[in-house]
Amino acid sequence: MFGILDQQFSWLNFTILALAAVALLLVVLLFVMYAIYFERKVIGWMQLRKGPNRTGPWGLFQTVADVLKLLIKEDVVPKKVDRFLFLIAPIISFTPSFMVIAAIPFTENLYFTDINVGLLYYGAISSLSITGILLGGWASNNKYSIMGGMRSVAQMISYEVPLIMSFLGIVLMTGSLNLRDIVHAQIDSGIWFIFPQFIGFVVFLIAGNAELNRTPFDLPEAENELVAGYFVEYSGFRFAFFMLTEYVYTFALSSLMVTLFLGGWDAPFGLTFIPPIVWFALKFLLLVFYLFWARATFPRVKIQQLMEFAWKGLIPVALFNVMLTAVLKTLGIF
Amino acid sequence: MGELRTEEMLLNVGPQHPSTHGVFRLVVKVDGETITECIPVIGYLHRGTEKLAEDLTYTQIIPYTDRLDYLASMLNNYALVQAVEELMDIKVPERAEYIRVIVMELNRIASHLVWWGTGLLDLGAISPFLFAFRDREYIVDMLNEISGGRLTYNYMRVGGVKWDAPAGWVDKVRKFVPYFREKIKEYHTLVTGNEIFVARVKGLGIYDAQTAIDYGLTGPNLRGSNFKYDLRKNAPYSIYDRFEFEIPTGETGDVYDRYMVRMEELEQSLNILEQAVASFPEEGEIMAKVPKVLRGPKDAEVYTRMEASKGELGVHIVSNGKDKPYRLKLRRPSFVNLQILPDILTGRSMADIPPIFGAIDIVLGEVDA
Amino acid sequence: MWGTGFFKGLGFTLKMLTEKKVTHKYPDEPYIMPDRFRGIQHFEPDKCIVCNQCVRVCPTGCINLVGKANPDPEKKGKVIDTYDINFEICILCDLCTEVCPTEAIVMTNNFELATYSRDYLMKDLKWLSENNKNVREENH
Ligand code: SF4
Ligand code: SF4
Repeated sequence: MFGILDQQFSWLNFTILALAAVALLLVVLLFVMYAIYFERKVIGWMQLRKGPNRTGPWGLFQTVADVLKLLIKEDVVPKKVDRFLFLIAPIISFTPSFMVIAAIPFTENLYFTDINVGLLYYGAISSLSITGILLGGWASNNKYSIMGGMRSVAQMISYEVPLIMSFLGIVLMTGSLNLRDIVHAQIDSGIWFIFPQFIGFVVFLIAGNAELNRTPFDLPEAENELVAGYFVEYSGFRFAFFMLTEYVYTFALSSLMVTLFLGGWDAPFGLTFIPPIVWFALKFLLLVFYLFWARATFPRVKIQQLMEFAWKGLIPVALFNVMLTAVLKTLGIF
Repeated sequence: MGELRTEEMLLNVGPQHPSTHGVFRLVVKVDGETITECIPVIGYLHRGTEKLAEDLTYTQIIPYTDRLDYLASMLNNYALVQAVEELMDIKVPERAEYIRVIVMELNRIASHLVWWGTGLLDLGAISPFLFAFRDREYIVDMLNEISGGRLTYNYMRVGGVKWDAPAGWVDKVRKFVPYFREKIKEYHTLVTGNEIFVARVKGLGIYDAQTAIDYGLTGPNLRGSNFKYDLRKNAPYSIYDRFEFEIPTGETGDVYDRYMVRMEELEQSLNILEQAVASFPEEGEIMAKVPKVLRGPKDAEVYTRMEASKGELGVHIVSNGKDKPYRLKLRRPSFVNLQILPDILTGRSMADIPPIFGAIDIVLGEVDA
Repeated sequence: MWGTGFFKGLGFTLKMLTEKKVTHKYPDEPYIMPDRFRGIQHFEPDKCIVCNQCVRVCPTGCINLVGKANPDPEKKGKVIDTYDINFEICILCDLCTEVCPTEAIVMTNNFELATYSRDYLMKDLKWLSENNKNVREENH
């Protein structure tokens, strides 16, 4: 951020960075709260309901109250769990979700690090969360949670493959793994990658949806089969951590998608008088809205179908996309 | 590579589990996610209705029947009064019969709507439930208006019905029919065409007609396996022989077929409603002349049956000349239909429990009586 | 074609986004029940002739009443002394009000019975006679 990382270490710089991180954490928390609020409102409206409307004006404080309730709840640790793992699993799962945000450039100047392998960093770090989920599921010593944990792992590992392959096309086109370079490439060419990389975009959308464990791919928590999946034994703020992880990933993944496919902070149609951060937020909200919209519409797929779909459907398509991009690139079209 | 050693795991699904809708317990043995054995455990809601009935007069039993299949109380009411009327040879006035048919078909629709909504909720689709309940609310309101109850109506009486239809009520039903036809189309748009839904239910839980008959299945569970059997047509009771309607059947007998049969039944109920409302008698009695104290004849026995929303609902009464039955036996379709569950669940995966279980459409109040 | 179902469904839910909402603002706005609705009973002691029919017809046996001799020695018959309905087990089936010859016990449209303790569910004569709002007009 502002080149601090390139400077010599000093306590001042460290403090600035730490404060910035806390600020970001607050922003993310705020986002999570209002994302949940937004989700409940949107789904409510789609189901002819009003959604939260009783706490505060238009129910704006509903999720705040919910979070508060979760935080001050008694911290229940069941007797027969593997205590140590049970306690750290939510943390293991949450930390990476927050770490990945560091790599995302929100605007030209607002970003935390400018890593050259930003994409790789994202992919690598985000897969760490699975460990937390698996540990949580296993440590809970509950049959439902272990099944939920296993499902999660199977699902997330499977969908990571098409997810990463889907942006290989972009990497081929720009020749860089740096997220800022990718946005710049889009600004320079004047065309967002959603158009030349439409297949990649669709694959990313589906695989991302699955990575986030959201409907129609919310099997790990499939309430009606597994009660609540891997966090069935969790309550209070540990449960809140798992929830948080999920929504922070929603934040991170949607941001990544905006960066990769929707031109980041680039203003379309030359509407540059609107500040770039607003553009970023708008595109971002659009994607988040889609996720909620899908949740209001689709039933859940089955675990077997899910796996089949990843390996027999998405991965071949993603591979094809990579090949196509490579061929087109060699022919000089891109 | 050596073979992986796997271990079977015993899993208790229920009695408090989000997809068992009530207190139903399923003990499943799973190998990974595959079910190798499953035993349904019922009885958590057992209230001894049949035994209680031996101590109740015939009128007093009616509110108890409300609580069997509490999603379709009108149909249960009817099953009992039908049996008593046959026992005592009572002729029900025409207007009462019309009202009965209308409320029963309305209630059948309401019951199917709950099945549709909750069944899809189990598949992870959260919206259909709300749409189903919006439309069910119209029906419940109408039934509330005529009977004074929203769920447990206690509306039918031996010899007729408790109240006459209030002014304008029949018109409401008339207006409801085209409204709901539109809504069914919307349901199909939202759900039936959805590829995920189809992929999850097609080819699942198949049994053929012979198996269904061997298990004694009735209602949509039997008709889904391509067997045309509906008591409203096969052994018409009340005034069902005056109406024209189809009996929808499925082809392969999978969950999808049972789904389609029920959806089609919604349409057919609307057809019946439409005709019943059109030929609704202007006036007439709603109660037959019945003695003040209802006493069954000595040493008499009746068994009557009717098509409830879940299947064949039979009532067997043994009377010894008192105002209370000597023995009341209920053939509860949910209970009978449930018996096939282990057969079609074994060998499937955990994820198949909700659709298969949901497609049988049981109500625990009726299973456990 | 495979895939159209997704879009149809998405289109449908999107359309619903702007549709009129059907939620009823229940505790803020009272939920009006139709006249026939069977709520909590209202009891008028003066009308009761202590004929015991309601007790006999009640399928759950939740009515308990005690009569006493008429204080006015000129008149014959009894008057009511205590009258309790146990709402833990009353199923609001309407049979008692249906059978009462003098309409001493009638239904109201009130349905809010929730309390913090079971004890409050034992409603006595006083409570039942004070429960005189929204009394049902048509009772037979
Ligand atoms: S409503 Fe029914 S259960 Fe309640 S007191 Fe009257 S007769 Fe008894
Ligand atoms: S309330 Fe009615 S039925 Fe009951 S004892 Fe009094 S008069 Fe008789």
